[in-house]
Amino acid sequence: MNDFVSTYGFLFVSMILGAMLGLSLYLPLMAGQLSLASPGFYALGGYVAAILSTKVFQVKEPFPIALLLLEMLIAGIICGLLGVIVGVPALRLRGIYLAIATIAFVEILRVLALNLDVTGGAVGIFGIPQPFQSPIEYLWIVLPLLLISMAFVYRLEKIRVGRAFIAIREDELAADSMGINPTYYKALAFTLGAILAGVVGAISAHFLNTWNARQGTFDASIIYLTFVLIGGSRTFLGPVLGGMVFTALPEILRAIADTPGLPVWLAQFLRDGRLIIFGLLIVIGTRFFPQGLVTPQLLKRRSRSQANR
Amino acid sequence: MPQPQLADSISNLDRTPVLEARGLTRRFGGLIAVNNVSFSVNEGEIFGLIGPNGAGKTTLFNLVTGLIHPSNGQMLYQGDEISKLRPHQIAKKGIARTFQNIRLFADLSALENVMIAQHIHTKSGVFTGVLGLPPAPREEQKTRSRAFELLELVGLSDRADEKASNFPYGDQRRLEIARALALEPSVLLLDEPAAGMNPNEKQQLSDFIRQIRQQFNLTILLIEHHVPLVMGLCDRIAVLNFGQLIAIGNPADVKSDQAVIEAYLGTD
Ligand SMILES: Nc1ncnc2c1ncn2[C@@H]1O[C@H](COP(=O)(O)OP(=O)(O)OP(=O)(O)O)[C@@H](O)[C@H]1O
Ligand SMILES: [Mg+2]
Repeated sequence: MNDFVSTYGFLFVSMILGAMLGLSLYLPLMAGQLSLASPGFYALGGYVAAILSTKVFQVKEPFPIALLLLEMLIAGIICGLLGVIVGVPALRLRGIYLAIATIAFVEILRVLALNLDVTGGAVGIFGIPQPFQSPIEYLWIVLPLLLISMAFVYRLEKIRVGRAFIAIREDELAADSMGINPTYYKALAFTLGAILAGVVGAISAHFLNTWNARQGTFDASIIYLTFVLIGGSRTFLGPVLGGMVFTALPEILRAIADTPGLPVWLAQFLRDGRLIIFGLLIVIGTRFFPQGLVTPQLLKRRSRSQANR
Repeated sequence: MPQPQLADSISNLDRTPVLEARGLTRRFGGLIAVNNVSFSVNEGEIFGLIGPNGAGKTTLFNLVTGLIHPSNGQMLYQGDEISKLRPHQIAKKGIARTFQNIRLFADLSALENVMIAQHIHTKSGVFTGVLGLPPAPREEQKTRSRAFELLELVGLSDRADEKASNFPYGDQRRLEIARALALEPSVLLLDEPAAGMNPNEKQQLSDFIRQIRQQFNLTILLIEHHVPLVMGLCDRIAVLNFGQLIAIGNPADVKSDQAVIEAYLGTD
């Protein structure tokens, strides 16, 4: 049991963080906006926590949970503010142009992180203090947070604001003509995603113990995109499941690669070809499952067949 | 039949028109889709807009509702210029519309379509909404029951939960009207609402338009190709041809106007 926990504790927590990052992409997508900015806000949230905990608070380990929560709050606020500042102009762009602009945003943050002193430059920030004894204990923070964010998005889809998002996704011009301000609601959806990514970043900085410019990269954009596009982009359960499965996937591939008797090139590919595999999944997945694997129809059919029983 | 025309013609001079176009012009590259058009629409009128294909009727509606902006000229609503406003701002002022090429939220239910259009009359935000704090739950309840009433009005309440795209063409047009009415507008713009309907349905629609004008105190602008329907329903009619206003007046006058006969009605 202890072995299991120490081997997989890290993975479980990572999977839940992945699920929340999937949700952070799903939020702007609810309003029809394909934004790949999440890794940027994730990185920023992480730096906020890393800087606060190593340079400002300077307390002895174990790091107090209250301070961790405070960091999450501050990271959320900073990312939310930056979300508004970046979102309002960026969301004038549509479709693939918005996606490209948000990738550029992630790159700008990365280059900044590499060159600033406060972020530790290329080396990054080390020895971020631990609030817990072992990785699995992070579940105390991430599991409630995942449940809260899932409940949040679930409710959001059923209320006035969420309906405005969805109306814009369905037909922006018609929504505009029905009195919905598209600029406002697109920026709001984008900002909610930014806040969530920032909060997740703040936890991750502690969880990973070190934080550097490799945290928010173009690779991450593609991987989070897989969470949503393959998991499902029309119900929040899609990115949640996608985030979990595709966070675990590299580990699974690594385990397969370790099976004896495999040709060396294949084992190598399974270990290092992560991005190629994710890219292939996006191409194949979007071709055959344009709404992802978990769709509202699928959920409806399930609940109906249960009701009929 | 009692008509508001008489009252209107008496008080026209001292009353601001609900809508007024002043030298409205819209160019698309070299094409002048709407060319120096001026007219005004009085409160409570059913105002018809006719003309051959490509005459600029829909473009005129787009100018009124802010989907596009004029190259020259102005659009006034109750005396205020609206030509520079964005569609949602104009909707908020009380102008609602339907679309010639139906633009429902196709993947959403009929009920959701009408609920969405009550946006400007509700105000709960992210947190009150998500947490179900007042006034969100009451507002939500009201939005739902109001949407249901409007679906009832257009005869679609028994299929409220069905996806909009599953409805037959004529029902989608009715659903668009219900959605527009959810804005509680004072001016309603209908772009070919009878397109794709059979003669029987057209007659029903005509009665229905009269009914909602009465019930909701509407001023209605109507684009329609079916001449008998327009002539029977409208208090006044404007005729567009190649972007220009070639005639405006009551149905009988327009019908006998030589320019209109040549451009649109044909001689038969
Ligand atoms: N967005 C646009 N860009 C370029 N040209 C346009 C645009 N919208 C309309 N036009 C052109 O303006 C002219 C008027 O079009 P409009 O749709 O207003 O005509 P209409 O009177 O509504 O015709 P119909 O009876 O066929 O609906 C047409 O020649 C059309 O091609
Ligand atoms: Mg038209």
